[in-house]
Amino acid sequence: MDGSHLSVVVDLSPSQWHLSSLQNQPYPLDLSSFISQLLAFLNAHIASRHENSLAVFGAFPGKSVLLYSSADPPTETPPSDANSFPAFRLVNSTIMHNIVQHLEALDDSSDEEAPSALVGALTKALCYINRLTLEFNASTANANATEGLEPLTLSDPRVLILSVSPDQTASYIPVMNSIFSAQKLKVTIDACQIYGSETVFLQQAAHLTGGSYIYLERRDALLQYLTMAFLPPPSIRQTISVPTQDKIDFRAACFCHKNIVDVGFVCSVCLSIFCQPVPVCSTCRTKFPIKTLQRLNAARPSLPLTSASQSRNPSVSSTPQKTNGRSSATPSRPVETPLGPGGLPHSGSINAHNINGAAHHGVQNGLGSSG
Amino acid sequence: MPTNDSDTLDDKNSITVSNKPHALLPFLQLQSATSLSRLYQSPSSCLSIFRLLDSVERQLVMNLLWLESAISLSTMGAWVVQEKKKFYDDALDILTRLHILHVHSGKLSLNTTFKTSLRHAITGGGSTGSFGVPAEKDEKRPPMDVEGLDGYALERWETILHFMVSSGTGQNPTRPSQGVLYLLQRSGLMSNQQGSTPQITSTGFQFLLHRPHAQLWDLLLQYLHMAEERQMDLVEVLTFFFMLSTMELGREYLTENLSQTQKAMLDDLRDYGLIWQRRASSRRFSPTRLATTLTSTSPSLPTSTGMTSSSQQGFIVLETNYRIYAYTDNPLQTAVLNLFVSLKYRFPNLVVGSITRDSVRKALNNGISAEQIISYLTTHAHPQMRKFNPLIPVTVQDQIRLWELEKERLKSQEGYLYTAFASQADYEFVLNYAKQLDVVLWENSAKRCFFGSLEGHSNIRNFIERRISGAV
Repeated sequence: MDGSHLSVVVDLSPSQWHLSSLQNQPYPLDLSSFISQLLAFLNAHIASRHENSLAVFGAFPGKSVLLYSSADPPTETPPSDANSFPAFRLVNSTIMHNIVQHLEALDDSSDEEAPSALVGALTKALCYINRLTLEFNASTANANATEGLEPLTLSDPRVLILSVSPDQTASYIPVMNSIFSAQKLKVTIDACQIYGSETVFLQQAAHLTGGSYIYLERRDALLQYLTMAFLPPPSIRQTISVPTQDKIDFRAACFCHKNIVDVGFVCSVCLSIFCQPVPVCSTCRTKFPIKTLQRLNAARPSLPLTSASQSRNPSVSSTPQKTNGRSSATPSRPVETPLGPGGLPHSGSINAHNINGAAHHGVQNGLGSSG
Repeated sequence: MPTNDSDTLDDKNSITVSNKPHALLPFLQLQSATSLSRLYQSPSSCLSIFRLLDSVERQLVMNLLWLESAISLSTMGAWVVQEKKKFYDDALDILTRLHILHVHSGKLSLNTTFKTSLRHAITGGGSTGSFGVPAEKDEKRPPMDVEGLDGYALERWETILHFMVSSGTGQNPTRPSQGVLYLLQRSGLMSNQQGSTPQITSTGFQFLLHRPHAQLWDLLLQYLHMAEERQMDLVEVLTFFFMLSTMELGREYLTENLSQTQKAMLDDLRDYGLIWQRRASSRRFSPTRLATTLTSTSPSLPTSTGMTSSSQQGFIVLETNYRIYAYTDNPLQTAVLNLFVSLKYRFPNLVVGSITRDSVRKALNNGISAEQIISYLTTHAHPQMRKFNPLIPVTVQDQIRLWELEKERLKSQEGYLYTAFASQADYEFVLNYAKQLDVVLWENSAKRCFFGSLEGHSNIRNFIERRISGAV
């Protein structure tokens, strides 16, 4: 398989998109113009190579859905038209149709909207890539596998997460597990936070899998950001670089209250993280001596845990140990990657002032079929 | 250690990045800016050309596609990793020569026509109809299904190749149509010197060992050259190729919106197996897989297979003892193998032979090089072979190369033998002069003679004549 695979996870939480489209926001962006720019980006990915494959997953409140997959294209093709490329038309109409269908089916009887199933969609995307890898190996009558060698992996599989929701601290463990699976599958995770606050988990996901994370400041330039930062597959990124992060928020969420902690306490046996010293580890049931607990409690910062406290007690060395908080672990990426010396541009340097054409160039097929 | 890692990564990457540019691009670069600009008016052409570009070039085009104003060279250059600057510069160079990119007073911008068309291609819209006007479903006569189209394309294509491979062997395979024969002769793949039966030439033999995708483009490039001579409008020919490449397999299209030139091309393309028509006069046509995969790089054309999916991944098992087992029942593949293998047995699904000195020499005499044989064997190796590294046994590879060197052991060169010098001094005097000119190929002072190359002869003769006349 020569082409590169791209799985896109799209956050389609109606309430967040509503907030994003409000006029009091700097650069308001509503869902329909987002989707038309997204479709242009997806088409650009398919356009790049005949063999490129694509899957799109939607994260709706409380459920995640496969919106489009080039491995099993829908059987009914849209009516032909002399002015558009058949493959693009198929992608556009399928995705639009599915999004509209699922948004209409949403249950809006309760006031409280369930959080977006972003992690579910990410997991599905990874499972999907795993399936492709297995099929690919099976189809090449893989001699490597029978020889006990490492099975072949797809070239350059990627996941791109387009998120508008804040971090859900409850999903810390599933996110981390997804990151580890992605590392094992050699999948690069790219992430783009389009609306809302910076997310800690997506930053870590991108950093740990060698991907790119962008917090979108100029929402009117979305398509240009997508094209320059997320279109090139990893092999091209060694020639034309993509924006890198200066700072990564490495904070973890505790297992007990699912809070993101600055200073945490780690079980020396199973490495579970807690926001306060506990007598018994809730994961592995290890009991800690009462003396250690007392000493740790005395050493705890007096401020509430959520605020960024800088107080450190260097004497804490016995179980449980302290974890690294944010202040001690903010390695800047250029130092670690070989891309460093060129003084590569930061995500802020994507030029946004002259791309007004992008937003107006709506994807006519896709939007047409929805209305 | 980290430096080592990055080095190996770089090597791997440089292989993928420095792929040879597509065969069509040099041809396009030769065209004038006006005809390219006409070509870029069609969104489907822009999309197809975009696909033929290399990965870095594609990314550059995409980066600039949605920008309304020009961007300065330094801003663009800031995105390039310093060590890979060469790829970036090459990419800029190729894009400029294709007139896709303009560099004007330190600013980069896309050709406006190209930009508008590619935007139309990606977002849809416009009214150019460049992706072909699909025909309404006809209940009475349903379009040919995909399998039928594959079969048709395969049959047409293999007829051409089989005709080439068996010319001069005394067999009488089906002759392809006159148009195809003419194209084969024009392109120098077959010669027509001895009587009426065309003979395959050494370029033709080399052609047979290429991948199907490259073969197809070779022929189409020849077709383009021929179109120039036939006074056909090149832009319309190219537009039609690109339109075909963006069409959907298994769908019928109307011929009504085609230009006169393009309608005339239908006959030729039908002969090559790129399109299918119910009747020659039919107002509908269906592109075959040969046409719709024109801009892909995948070798998964129906021609590369025999017929089943298993042979798609190769069918040749080669052993260290020069024995070759080819799991195929395809007469074309057998005939191609016969070019450099001496075949021993044939079974319904298996051909057994061995690579011998004589069989390889026969191939070398036909103009096929050792590298081509090895690359053919590599390309069509059976999946079972793929677990070996290197894939082709080293002994066999080396021996094939040695056989090629053996052929080049004797080199002939035209020249003159100078002999019967009156004295040793005369001999040495002339020899020294010839040595200064660097034209001496062989010398023997005992016999007072030396051999000089053809180019040096007039100088040496003049020198001797002057010397004689001077002495007299």
